[in-house]
Amino acid sequence: MSRDAIVRIENLSYQYPRSPGLVLRDINLSIHKGEFLGIVGPTGAGKTTLCLALNGIVPQFYGGRFYGHVTVAGLDTVETPIHQLAQHVAMVFQDPETQLIANSVEDEVAFGLENIRVPRDEIRRRIEWALATVRLAGMEEKHPTELSGGEKQRLAIAAALALQPQVLVLDEPTSQLDPLGSQEVFATVRELNARLGITVILVSHASEEVAEFVDRVALLSNGELAGLNAPSQIFAQADLLPKYAIRPPQVTRFYLELRNRGFDPPSIPVTLERAVKVYDHMRTQIELKPLAVPEIATAEPPGSVLFSVRDVEHVYPDGTRALHGVSLDLREGEYVGIVGQNGAGKTTLVKHFLHLLEPTSGQVFLDGQDVTNLEVSELAQQVGFVAQNPDNQIFNTSVEAEVSFALRNLGIGPAEVAQRVEESLDTMGLVDYRTWHPLSLSKGDRARVVIAAVLAMRPDVLIFDEPTTGQDYLGARRILDVSRQLHQAGKTVIVITHHLYLMPGYAERVVVMGKGIILLDAPIREAFHDTALLEHTFLAPPQIVQFAQRIASRENRALPVLAPEELAACFAKRKGAG
Amino acid sequence: MTWRTIGSIQESPFHQLDFRSKLMLLLAATFLAFLWESPALTAGLALVVLVLCLVAGIGLSYLGRMLRLMLPFYAIVLLTHGFWNTNVGRTPLWIAPETWWLIGGSLQLTLEGLAYGLMVIFRTLTLILVIPLVIFTTDLNSLIVGLVRMRIPYKIAFIFSSTLRFVPLLLEEINSITEAQRLRGLALEKMSLLQRLRVYSRVAVPLILGAMVKSQQIEVVLASKAFSGSPDRTYLHESSLRAVDYALIILCMGIVLVALWLRMASGLGRFGLPGW
Repeated sequence: MSRDAIVRIENLSYQYPRSPGLVLRDINLSIHKGEFLGIVGPTGAGKTTLCLALNGIVPQFYGGRFYGHVTVAGLDTVETPIHQLAQHVAMVFQDPETQLIANSVEDEVAFGLENIRVPRDEIRRRIEWALATVRLAGMEEKHPTELSGGEKQRLAIAAALALQPQVLVLDEPTSQLDPLGSQEVFATVRELNARLGITVILVSHASEEVAEFVDRVALLSNGELAGLNAPSQIFAQADLLPKYAIRPPQVTRFYLELRNRGFDPPSIPVTLERAVKVYDHMRTQIELKPLAVPEIATAEPPGSVLFSVRDVEHVYPDGTRALHGVSLDLREGEYVGIVGQNGAGKTTLVKHFLHLLEPTSGQVFLDGQDVTNLEVSELAQQVGFVAQNPDNQIFNTSVEAEVSFALRNLGIGPAEVAQRVEESLDTMGLVDYRTWHPLSLSKGDRARVVIAAVLAMRPDVLIFDEPTTGQDYLGARRILDVSRQLHQAGKTVIVITHHLYLMPGYAERVVVMGKGIILLDAPIREAFHDTALLEHTFLAPPQIVQFAQRIASRENRALPVLAPEELAACFAKRKGAG
Repeated sequence: MTWRTIGSIQESPFHQLDFRSKLMLLLAATFLAFLWESPALTAGLALVVLVLCLVAGIGLSYLGRMLRLMLPFYAIVLLTHGFWNTNVGRTPLWIAPETWWLIGGSLQLTLEGLAYGLMVIFRTLTLILVIPLVIFTTDLNSLIVGLVRMRIPYKIAFIFSSTLRFVPLLLEEINSITEAQRLRGLALEKMSLLQRLRVYSRVAVPLILGAMVKSQQIEVVLASKAFSGSPDRTYLHESSLRAVDYALIILCMGIVLVALWLRMASGLGRFGLPGW
């Protein structure tokens, strides 16, 4: 490349003081001025460590063994103090809650500037500029907790930007955001890169967005740099998922699947627009099979009504109206996905099922009984609730004790306890970890411990609240597979999520919520193809749905598919074509 | 829930004052509360502070909650002083009948004891009310800048303010942990106090571990924002004393000096003077 390197990483290996082995191994990477570099890799690949090596926190803050050299803007990251490097490399982290440390929007932006002794007038100018750049002008006086998730992350970006860094590093800035928040953040970052020429390094699991926005992708696996290339090269590798546990964009999976089926696409595209173009090229070779897609089923699901929600309104003590007259029937044996952006009222709704919240008006019935007449501890035996953060649901010192905790509370005899614990551990694949401390397990396994603990009560209904947040693709799939297994065993399953692309293959029915009301309640095919409604509520339909609709309009027929493989199965070779 | 909205509803004249002048008010009120031993004077002081709280927009519900929390303590104070404060007790109101075992004839409730108990109650009430009056009406940034101006090391001022920043987060966390416990069959409403205490101690484990993880995250965040704890930095907010601040400071000092002089010269505020 002709451009100058702003970041040079040479033979970098690193080990934390207490990690058993190397976290980064022999990494060589030059990042060019003005480049937009994406970093992808499964959990534990070393992505965060690599980011922290860029501003000297690794090794200056953590210690440990550091081999090789990293220079940023000509400064060695081991020799230059962190607070000096911070002026050249600004960081944005994953968790919006812990990275905002001030008590107002303007103070958040000012904090870093105050630390590097920028004069007051200049701080004022930079606050104005940085907030305008991320479109938060006018919010100076607000408290960070009053902002939405997307706004919080944009504020974190503004604070980073105000330092006028040459390099902006973002470590999974969207993993805790809903689709709208993610979009805001990606759009902001792209603009900074294009308009201001800031070098951007972005870690993300959102393959579709990474493929669309970045110039190059660095693929990390087990601490090694396993690939460094344009997104069209990295994401089009057929072994990306099986070998590196990275989910390719859905359109890419569609074309890879076509190729598996003996078709010959001219190239494997990684973005939606390219995918449509490639399709236009292939139209002479392929044709749609008649009736290849299942029709949208509209039959009432079997089973009797389990939960009956009648005109429930909920107003929080601070005056927030979270639910405005929600009515809903959930039947025994269903698998229902409740989707909607942050603040739509999803969690508020299901908390009414467990009497964790009481309706301000309206009623919730379980098997015909008003749940407000039942104790939470009673209800919990029938309705298992797996809340968002597993770490707030672990209070025992071994996996076994955690799983038996509820049973001991419920006064179940020791023999029965032992049997149920065994059963739960077995279902969740945790038998080998029974004596481990839950917190010594990985985040994905901790989530499974919590599920096992809930399962031990043998509930008929299981509610999962955002079970896939903070998990990589395989981790998310593993948890959803458990939910499907439980559903197949006859349990009623309710999953709250904004990861729409994960739902096909699991949920049968989808309830779309927005601003405290139910916008749509339909079988998943119908719901996911109501793209106008989804976009109206700022939920992006999965990429494959968007792609199928583009094809459907070209072919002038409906294509209500939900998965890349399903779409690929709709095609046959056109007769007479090579 | 945010810091700015705890108890306080709207901007009041109090919010406009500098932290330092409000701190002066706090010190003066505290000093007077301990200088005076007369129930009437301490009652007056507590009343003045209460009125100021209401003017500052601190919610009645908050004040009510505080009082309810203190009530058992106040009952104990009143009874112990009423029955056992032999230093001041002179006028018996009630004497235990001779037939009562051990205490008969000797245990007595005295008027002075009760009065002294009331004084102690008003004294603590003043302290309880004046602290939210100063803290809740001060924006955290003014607080931190005010502390630094008073030569408190920046790092300590910062730790103080960021602790307050994360209190709501911590409360949320406690809430979700106890919720998770109830969902696993813990029926708090059916438990004895001792059992409940055991349950609360379990909350501490995830809470402390979570706080440790968070505090390390915050340290990394701070370092990334060029924070080094050095006082050699600039400040966005100015902290300047206006005429009204000087007036308040002088007023507070004046009242304290006058009260001190009166106490020494004429004994005003001493316990037991006629007409307390």
